[in-house]
Formats: sequence, C-alpha cells, structure tokens
Amino acid sequence: MFQFLARRLVSSVFVVFGVSLAAFSMVHLVPGDPVAIMLGERATPADVARLRGELGLDEPLPVQYLDYVSRAIRGDFGESIRSGQPVLGEISGRTAPTVELALAAMAIAVTLGVLMGVIAATSRSATADFGTMAVSLAGLALPTFWSGLLLIYLFGLKLGWLPVSGDGGPRALILPAVTLALPAAAVLARLTRSSMLEVLGQDYVRTARSKGLPEDLVVYKHALQNAFIPVLTIMGLQFGALLGGSVIVESVFARPGLGSLAVDAILARDFPVVQAIVLLAGIVFVLVNLLVDILYSVLDPRISLG
Amino acid sequence: MVGAAGRRLLVIIGVPVLILLVLVFAVSRCGGSSSGSQQGQSGGDLVDGITEEPDTLDPQKTNTAVTGTLLRYAGDSLITKDLNGDYVAGLAKSWEESEDGTKWTFELKDGVKFHNGDPVDAEAVKASIERAMDPKTKAGVAGSLFSEVEEIRAPSDKTVEIALKRPFSVFEANIADPRAAIVDAEAAEKMGEKFGRTPVLTGPWQVTDWKSGDRIRMERNPDYSWGPEFAHDGPPRIESLTFRIMTDNATRIAALQSGEIQMTDVPPVNVAELEESGDFQLQNYLRTGVGLFMEFNVNKEPFDDPVVREAMNYAIDKDAIVEAALRGLGQPACGPLPPSIEGYWQGVCDYAPSYDPEKAKSLLSEAGYEPGPDGTLSKDGEPFEFTLFVQPEDTWTQSAQLVQQQLKDIGIGMEIQSFEFGTLLEKAKAGEHQAELMGYTYTNPDILYLWFHSANIGEGLNLSHIDDPKLDAMLEKSRTTIEEDAQEETYQDIQRYLVDESVWVPLWNNEEYIATSQQVEGAEISTEGYLSLIDARLAEE
Repeated sequence: MFQFLARRLVSSVFVVFGVSLAAFSMVHLVPGDPVAIMLGERATPADVARLRGELGLDEPLPVQYLDYVSRAIRGDFGESIRSGQPVLGEISGRTAPTVELALAAMAIAVTLGVLMGVIAATSRSATADFGTMAVSLAGLALPTFWSGLLLIYLFGLKLGWLPVSGDGGPRALILPAVTLALPAAAVLARLTRSSMLEVLGQDYVRTARSKGLPEDLVVYKHALQNAFIPVLTIMGLQFGALLGGSVIVESVFARPGLGSLAVDAILARDFPVVQAIVLLAGIVFVLVNLLVDILYSVLDPRISLG
Repeated sequence: MVGAAGRRLLVIIGVPVLILLVLVFAVSRCGGSSSGSQQGQSGGDLVDGITEEPDTLDPQKTNTAVTGTLLRYAGDSLITKDLNGDYVAGLAKSWEESEDGTKWTFELKDGVKFHNGDPVDAEAVKASIERAMDPKTKAGVAGSLFSEVEEIRAPSDKTVEIALKRPFSVFEANIADPRAAIVDAEAAEKMGEKFGRTPVLTGPWQVTDWKSGDRIRMERNPDYSWGPEFAHDGPPRIESLTFRIMTDNATRIAALQSGEIQMTDVPPVNVAELEESGDFQLQNYLRTGVGLFMEFNVNKEPFDDPVVREAMNYAIDKDAIVEAALRGLGQPACGPLPPSIEGYWQGVCDYAPSYDPEKAKSLLSEAGYEPGPDGTLSKDGEPFEFTLFVQPEDTWTQSAQLVQQQLKDIGIGMEIQSFEFGTLLEKAKAGEHQAELMGYTYTNPDILYLWFHSANIGEGLNLSHIDDPKLDAMLEKSRTTIEEDAQEETYQDIQRYLVDESVWVPLWNNEEYIATSQQVEGAEISTEGYLSLIDARLAEE
C-alpha cells in the first residue's frame, strides 16, 4: 500500500509540475506585451519598467520559473492587477462557495446517476430502460447555461420556491448544484448501467440469486459494489468537469466563487489571478484522482497496491 | 486492509455521508452570509443588481465605469450636477473661474466631515487632489481629470485655489466627475490597499463591506447635511444600499422579478416585458456617448480612401438597425457626439449622409469599384471584401449582422470576427483591424480629443489611427478655448470635419433603462445616467 501510494504521489508531483509550468507560461504565451496589456492605456514607460521588474520578466525564463514556484509555495501569488489586493486573499475568499457547490453537485450527481443507472440496468421493461437513458442523454446534451436558466424560470419565478441567485445559504445552493450535477449525473447513469449489466451476468451474481437472496440485496449489495469501481474512476474525472462547469454556473447564478472569479480575471487580463486559479484547480484535480486511486483498493482487493 | 463488510459499508453509506457533509458545510457557512438576502421586507435596505464588479472603490485609482456610478452614492465632488445636468454646489458652496481661465477658486461648505469624522477643510481638499496627481498613487481616470493642474493652494481654512497650466475648457466638468470625489488622503495613507475596499469619503452613504464577487454594502451617513440643493436637507432616507454583482442579464432580470433585487439596468430585450407587467417603474436616459459606431482604420485598404468611407455612410440603413438590435429604444447616430453630451451640434443629422444605396454605389464606382455579373463589387479584379471586428455582445453582433446584410445587397463582402472586449481594444490600438464596431460613454466633449488626436494613437483611444494636423489643431483649440460661444463653434467645426472625413459610420445612440420595483419611491433619473436615491424611500410592504 505504501509503495503504491508513493508511486502515485510521485506521478502526481509530475502532473502538478506540468500544471505549474502551464500556468507560468501563460504570461509568456499571450500575444503582445503582457505588461503593457496589464497596465492599460495610461501606462508610462516607468510603470512598464517597474512592473517588469516586479514580475521578474527581465530574468531568464528558468530563473523566472523557479522564482515563481518558490513564491507560490510560500503562498505568494503576487497582487491582482485589477484590484491591487493580494491574490491569495482574493482566492481564499472565493474558495468556500465553489467547494460547497462542487461537493453538493457531486452528491446529487452520484445519487441521481447511480440510481438511474441501476434502474435502467435492472428494469425488466424496455420503456423504463429507454426512458432513463433518454433522460440522461438530455442531461448530457443540455448546456448548463440553458438548463440553469430553465430551472431559474421554473423554480425561481413561476413556482417561487427557491432564490434565483446569490450565496445565501442552503436554499440558494440547490438550483446551481442541480444545474451543475445534471451532465455529471448523465455520464454516471450511462456508465453505471453498462457496468451493472456486465456484472449482473457474472457467476457470483447467479450464485447469490440461487442462494435465494432477495433481488434488492443482490443488486444493491453484491452487484453494485463491483459495478461501482469504474463509476468511481469517472467520478474523479467528473470532479474536474464540475470545477470547470462552475465557471458557467457561478456566472449564471451570480455566485461569488472561483469560477466567476476566473471569468472576471480572464476578461480583465488579470494574469496573476488566472495563474493562481489554474494552478489551484490543477492541484485539486490531481488530489481528487489520487484519492480515487486509493479508494479503488479499498473497494476491490484484487487491485494490487504492491 | 479493510474487510468485506467495511467495503460494503463504504459504498452504502458513502453517498449519504457526502450529502450530509455538504449540508453541514452549507449550513455552517450560511449564518454569516445571508443577512442581506432577506430582501423585500428588510425595510431600509435597497438592493441594486450591478452588471460588473468594480476594480476598486478608490475614486482616484479606478478604471471601471461602474465605480463612477457607485461613487454617486458614497462620495461628493467639489461641484456636481443636478438631475438636468446643470452645475450645482457640491462640497464647495461657490466657485469662480479667473478671467483667463487658469485659476479656479472654491469656497467650501461648513461642517462637512469625512465618514470617519475628520473635518473637510481646504487642506484636506488640497491633500486629496495632490494624492490623485502623485505618480505614486498610480491614479486611473482621476489622474487625467486633474492632468492640467499646476498647483493647489489653501489660502484660508475654507478657500481652495487651483492654478492650471493653461486654460482647460473641460476642467469644470472634470471637477464634477464622481471620480474627482474628495477622499480622506490621510486615511488612504494609513489604510493602504484596504482604502480601495472601504474608502473614506463624504457621501450620503458609506461603504462598509465588500464581499468579493458577491456584494458591496453601504450604510447611511447619519451626519450627512451637505447634500446638493436639489435634494432634501439631512441624511438619506434609505438606511442601506446593497449592490449585488450579477453579470448575467437573464439572471439579473429574473432576480428583479422574483424580488431578490429592487433595482437594476435593463437590456433592451427585456424592457417591453417589464413595462407591461406593471410591477416595475422604468426610467430611461439617452446614453452620454455614441452607443455604437463602425470605425475605419484609415491606414488600411480599402478604407484608406475617404471616398470609400463616405460611400459606407450611404450604404447603411441605421433605422433598420435601431429597430432590430435596439427594439427601437434609441435613435440613429449622425456624428461623433450624441445629443446628451454638451457641445453636440444640432445640425449634424441634416448635414451627415443618410441611407441612399444608389449614391453609395456611384461613390464606389468613382473609387474604382465596379459590379461584376453577380453584383459583387471589385476593383482591378479584387473583390471588395473586409473584416469587421466586434465584441460578443448581443446588440453589437445583431447590428453587425444587419450591416453585413445591407452591404451584401450592394455587393460588398463583410466578414465578422468577434473578440472579447479587451482583446478587441488591443487589436484596434495596434491597428490590426480594417474596421471595428465600438461605443463609448463619457461626460463631456473632450472625448473628441481623446478619440481623434494623433497623440492618442497606439496607447490611447485613437483607434482609427487618423493623424491629421488640421484636426489636431482644432482639437487642441477646443481644449484651451474657454469662451462659451467660441467653444461651441470649435466643437461644431470638429464634428463637421469628422463627418466630412467619414472616419466613422455612426450607428446608434441608445436609451438606457433602469427598473425599480414599485416599492422604491422617489428615485429620480439623472441625465448623467444614474438613479438619484438621495430623496428615495422604500415603501412598507
């Protein structure tokens, strides 16, 4: 187990290294002089020179990169060009709403997706199978900005049950979380269905049935446990999609999270903020997938950890 | 290693635990953040949905338009404008311009205090303006408002004298700009970067809290007794203002309809719907700036030829564009200034070309473009084709598509390329475009200098890259001419010249709409484009 963990950790470090390199390169890859872009129209040559120095853009690239990384490790991501506030402060103030949104969406997606997948796989009527899969296809095909507006219209305006926007506690979380969860739930439902169908045809399931175990127990306990392994992999990957999706969902629901911060920062060409968000999102994604790898072994002892 | 029972348990309870975690997390956070969201019945709190987040609320450092609007509620300038756009006393009870226009004297009102209780005397005003001019401040727009200032003196406790380097025709307008609001320079020094989040000013409301990406809160200034003459004496009636940041138009309108906010800007497409519902009060003003114009890069083919540019002015049917893209909520634009900016030439619409496709074709033929068998225009075997740069904003792209269709009808091929606004601006500044769509908002006719003087090519806003000594001379004259009639004539000459040169096809001047729920009483629109709330109150529900 330890060895496995060490190996995964090492490969994670490489991925994080790649992400940091990508975030770092951003400033150098945008067309035009980033400093002039950052400072805008009223910049004097002195301003440009000062910011160049501050960003260390006069140094050779590897030196710049090492400097960037060493400052990032100490939590120093520089100052936001737009607001003049430290980037770390800007980001930490916006993290909680996004974490909350992503976790809630994940919970909804897993519940909804797995349930629908199991129903589709075990249902004896073709209509139920077809129905659940059609619904999941719709969930996959609907763009979130549109499904979000539909939900706002229905539950916020017509029925008046839920607030349409903002960050005002659990009730305000429901609509954005459901919106964000729909595509992920659709993916999980389809995957659970095919995975379940495969498992249900295996010998041990037949054995369980022939022992006379109740069908529910066979399906939800014996079959689902093994069918869940590929689903878990996708959950990890879907978490990345959820972080990405928060960009749109947070804008639509006017939630003050990292996604909406990313949009604002990109539009304002606020490179230090964009860099920090890219780096942070990359690290979170890597960590979640590391966690998934560890969970495999817990779920399925056949997956060797040695 | 976990046993079989444990593994099963993990699957079975994993999901509910995850849900539980989220709920606990959400509930634990909601205590602090939901105070402002019981809108509607909270009596003294007016919630305004704003379309973008300010960069900073420091009047002297900001570069975003939204900050100017918020400063109307939190700050005061030395002089200000009433709701019709006439100058009235602000923090100065009287002011005077010297004969030659190089010295301005302000007499300050008595009893004015900053939000922290410090008195606003001549020294404080001097310190405020000097801070804006100090290169260390890295001032934004405010820096250019005071750019012609040479020296500030405080001969007495209540007298401020400002000496200018040369006469500056728009200085009064600059002093009245919300971004020229007097700041507590001492507090700014002490607070550092925090000053931009909760600035210490003198306005009817005081900024108390700014939650990034979410909301800005202002509370009533109980000492406020120095309001402008058009407002009642004493502090404002509404206890607090909450500005919620809501970038998505559809969401903002839904939030207004559901009662989460009580005030917001309305895009043209929602105006009729809100008006018909009868639940809202809509007030409008003509935007102080040309809402949309097609601007040519005069250095690039095919628009380096003034005849071609003139032809374009005949080829485009502006009425059709106003009808479709603005739902009729605006008027065709004729020149570089709208009627809502002082200095607008009344005769410009009679003088400027109007829609006449035949005339356009004959001008193009004069310029060497002849129609082929399929009607496509070409010159020396090259078809007339160009690319228009736009930003992905509904009214812009719809207008661009109509222009595209209209030009196609006379045989011109136009391609539309969309860039996010910052990129669009960079590309136009660099001169990479043949033509672009653009719009502006400004408070006075000095925008002409900023937009057309050759000094503003490259870094500045001279996006047509026009470099014309005769135009430059006229623009310089407009800045130093202070005698009113002469000034008006100069601006008229400039507008005529720009129409003659056909640097733009001005497209439309739009009406901007602000909706308030019926609960908000006494909020009045200003010609400057904001809703005055100083006399407003919230009705009990």
